[in-house]
Amino acid sequence: MALLEFQGVCKIYNNTTKALADIAFSVDEGEFVSIIGPSGSGKSTILRCINRLVDATQGTVIFDESDISHASKKDIREARKKIGMIFQHYNLVDRLSVIENVLHGRLGHKSTISGMMGRYTESEKEKAFQILEKLGLVEQAYKRCDELSGGQKQRVGIARSIMQEPKLILCDEPIASLDPSSAKVIMDHLSNINRNMKITCILNLHQVDVALKYASRIIGLTSGRIVYDGPPNHLTKNKIYEIYQSSEGELITDVW
Amino acid sequence: MGDNREITNFTALNSHRCVRMTRGGKIKTGADGKANLVIKITIIALLGLTIIGFLTFDYKDTNIFTAILDTFVNAGIMFGTPRLSHVSFSGAMEQLLVTFALATLATIFGAVIAFFASLLCAKNIANPIVANVVKSFVAFVRAVPTILWVFIIAMSSGLGSIAAVVGLTFHSAGYLTKAYAESIEEMNEGAIEALKTSGASFWQIVLQAIMPSSIRYMVAWTFLRFEINFANALAVGAAAGAGGIGFELWMAGNQYHDLRELGFLTYIIVIAAVLLEVIATKVKEKAG
Repeated sequence: MALLEFQGVCKIYNNTTKALADIAFSVDEGEFVSIIGPSGSGKSTILRCINRLVDATQGTVIFDESDISHASKKDIREARKKIGMIFQHYNLVDRLSVIENVLHGRLGHKSTISGMMGRYTESEKEKAFQILEKLGLVEQAYKRCDELSGGQKQRVGIARSIMQEPKLILCDEPIASLDPSSAKVIMDHLSNINRNMKITCILNLHQVDVALKYASRIIGLTSGRIVYDGPPNHLTKNKIYEIYQSSEGELITDVW
Repeated sequence: MGDNREITNFTALNSHRCVRMTRGGKIKTGADGKANLVIKITIIALLGLTIIGFLTFDYKDTNIFTAILDTFVNAGIMFGTPRLSHVSFSGAMEQLLVTFALATLATIFGAVIAFFASLLCAKNIANPIVANVVKSFVAFVRAVPTILWVFIIAMSSGLGSIAAVVGLTFHSAGYLTKAYAESIEEMNEGAIEALKTSGASFWQIVLQAIMPSSIRYMVAWTFLRFEINFANALAVGAAAGAGGIGFELWMAGNQYHDLRELGFLTYIIVIAAVLLEVIATKVKEKAG
């Protein structure tokens, strides 16, 4: 049984801009999927349709055996608890400590009042520290997030999403603002989480070479349509040119 | 590789069509738009109004030199030989406390109302329709001057401290709503999005993401408003008969014509205002 299924999903912004056209694919548990495609091809829109930051105009999104595209507000919250998300700009609360930001992952599981007040149980705090240890951030636990480097911030973002105990993690350009070595650390952590914790990951990536190296499956997107869906070793050079609608010599990957 | 040849003739460039010139024949660099023109017109208009103002004043045959001299003499009496005659020092202190109380109450009430109102009208969290309704209402409240609110309230409550506090509260709430909403709009929206996607509820987001990010600005704005309210409470105390040191000041000036008492009370108010400013700055530093 697939964990996630898109059936004929369309998204039109402001009645005019067509972002997604008849998207259909399904993702099984444990997959490490990378979506590639030029800016504006609808990568972010696909991710955001899954956790309903964006509402699909047409079609159905099924997550964990329930129809999320037509769910009530309460059901959306239930589904969101099971879906972690990692952002290009980390999206941490900069003025709070690292550990507080990690604990934010639990908010959805808590009562409104104790979540508001930031009252967490000792076992939740212990778990947060265990996660930070795995990500090599324990020494930073009591630092304020604005004191961290980009790579460290992104690891806090990962820690926060694992804290949710999600079935699926969505990553929206997780390494686009990072230097190459921090980017590798982040990708290695995501890959580990996928393999060891059996959490399905869907990543939007701009770096084709990174996608080819890490992903178990690649979805190529061009102006809102899927033009490639398959394993990375079947993705030919010509297909990449088709995805980015360019010809030989026009892509940065051609430089190497 | 042929693109690297040096550009020697500027007019031969393809981009030449897009280059605009100033009237002096230099290349224009400023952005398009009417902003510059608007600023120029505003300055010229203000200059014109100032000149017309000075030309049309009714000077009532005042000799400017006598006037300046008398001002210095009176100021000398006021601030050189201050003394209390109609109120005792402890009485003046008590009245100062009354003014503080008016300002404090109005600020607290205003802040509480503004906090909830700002959640309804900050662009990044509120429903756009609700936000516009609340924003327009708040703009209307702010457009009416504080003293007018006091008189409007006084119609039902009569002149006195109730009218003063409620009237000051109205304007404070309007002012702080705008200030708080802007503080919230300043924050990194991504953090709100991140908590939303993890299933956090609205109030959890408010207390866990919005408050930690904006509280510093909110505290700063509240203190600024408190200072304004202190000044307003002085005026309202006299005008609406709410009491306080502003009322004593008015009595000393308009009833007893006692320049020395006026001077003494002014000193008290200035010292109080400076202390307030110092405390406010310290609090702001701590909050940062």
